[in-house]
Amino acid sequence: MNCPRCVQRIHRAAESCPHCGFSIADADAQFGIDPVQIRCLTDSAGILRRRDRQSVEAAMEKITRRFPQIFVALYTGSLGDAANIRPFSFWLLNRAVYEDAPSGMANDAGILVTIDPESKAATMVFGYLLDPFLCTQDIFECLSRAHPYWLDGRYADGFLKALNHLEVILRKKFKKARRDSKPQNPKPLTPHPAEDLGKGVRALDQTIAEPPTTEEATS
Amino acid sequence: MKFLAHFTTALAVISVTLLAASPTPASANPSPAESPPPSGEIVSPFIPIPEKFIPAYFGKRPESYLIDPQKLLSPSDFRDRLAFLNYHASDSAIDLFVFVIGADQEIPAGVKLDEIIGRFFSNGRPAVIVFYYPNSVQRSTLLLSPSIANTIPQTEQRRILESAVMQANRKSNVSEQTEQFLVQVSIRIYWMEQMISGKSAKNDKVPHANLNPALSKSAAKAAGFAKLQEVVMQLMIPAAAAFVTLVIIALLVAWRRLTARHFFPVHQVETRLGGNHAAGVGAVITFASTKVPPASQREQVSDFSRRF
Repeated sequence: MNCPRCVQRIHRAAESCPHCGFSIADADAQFGIDPVQIRCLTDSAGILRRRDRQSVEAAMEKITRRFPQIFVALYTGSLGDAANIRPFSFWLLNRAVYEDAPSGMANDAGILVTIDPESKAATMVFGYLLDPFLCTQDIFECLSRAHPYWLDGRYADGFLKALNHLEVILRKKFKKARRDSKPQNPKPLTPHPAEDLGKGVRALDQTIAEPPTTEEATS
Repeated sequence: MKFLAHFTTALAVISVTLLAASPTPASANPSPAESPPPSGEIVSPFIPIPEKFIPAYFGKRPESYLIDPQKLLSPSDFRDRLAFLNYHASDSAIDLFVFVIGADQEIPAGVKLDEIIGRFFSNGRPAVIVFYYPNSVQRSTLLLSPSIANTIPQTEQRRILESAVMQANRKSNVSEQTEQFLVQVSIRIYWMEQMISGKSAKNDKVPHANLNPALSKSAAKAAGFAKLQEVVMQLMIPAAAAFVTLVIIALLVAWRRLTARHFFPVHQVETRLGGNHAAGVGAVITFASTKVPPASQREQVSDFSRRF
């Protein structure tokens, strides 16, 4: 696993990056400490048309139907600097509360795709549930499938291609996991403590636009 | 007087009747030429086959299925009958040899047919030998080669000949008579084969022999096609059942794959970097320029490093 900021390898159970000292606290200081309530499909950048949204939601539901432990979320927004997209995705998957996520499903089971049409960058991160099964190369392969579409500004098509490939990879990983060990009964994950869900997406965007000062973050 | 007249009339009638029933004077007194032969000598009304043709008939094993050294059949008839006999030989396990002899001829007494047949037909394929007399079909005789002579009863041999003669007599033309005769013999030989092989012959499987070579070939082709069709029909049902089964299995597999739900095993993962639900960066890709393809972005580096 790599650090979201310096992309250096970090060891298991590292409280902070041994190379750059990054932790969730730094992300909180940058993007806000409070959880944000958003939908799985949040198009803050407004790059998806209505028809695109329907197909994208259908593809996301399909993943959940095939893999009932997993849900997919898509966030589009302008993050200002491309350097922000890594720590932002890390922060959002930890701090967001997806109001339309399948009941009883925590963010551990989430796969978040973040697209920043302004800086022309996209990322895909996943929760702890898939940590033993997916690697960076798998995720990169998915994003590679979307790359030619995103070059043309066809964000929905690119996202669908990425999800199609993600499904293929998940199926392979599932087969491998089943071979390695007998499948266990799905264990309900601990739901995210929905504390102070007052902030919405707009607040989130404001937070990104106006990062809190170090003192606020410390307090 | 009246009684006397009736008596006279009746006497006259009786005498006329007796005269009519009595032999004619000629028959009563036969001429010396028509006098019966002396006792112990039988005079045949037929003449023997000319001596010069005897070697051609009985000198060696026939090289052709139709032996007609006297050319009693017309050339076209000879050609057609020979073609039929050749076709029969190709279609049957029992050959059919036909010796054509004149209607007023007979096999000389010195020719021992049993000996000749034993000498020429003991080896090789079994054969039916027919001595055929055009215009006098009922005189035809039929003999079997030694290999099958004991297998086929005499009654059956006689029945073969009778049926062939009967078929031939339905025609008035010599050519047609010969044709019908040979066709019937050929058909009965088929039955003979069935009898030898122990198979129960069925009426619908009686081969239809045809003297026309072209028709015979087409009949053979039709028979082959019918056999092929029968095999196809026999295989069609199992093949269709197998195909339907495969389609059903494929559909079931596809349906199962479409509706399958996959559950990953849940492992306890220690949290990192303070994140309760996720840690790490996954992967990042930029699509700002076509000059930066995904292949060049595979190695994930920090944005700080990328800038320098």
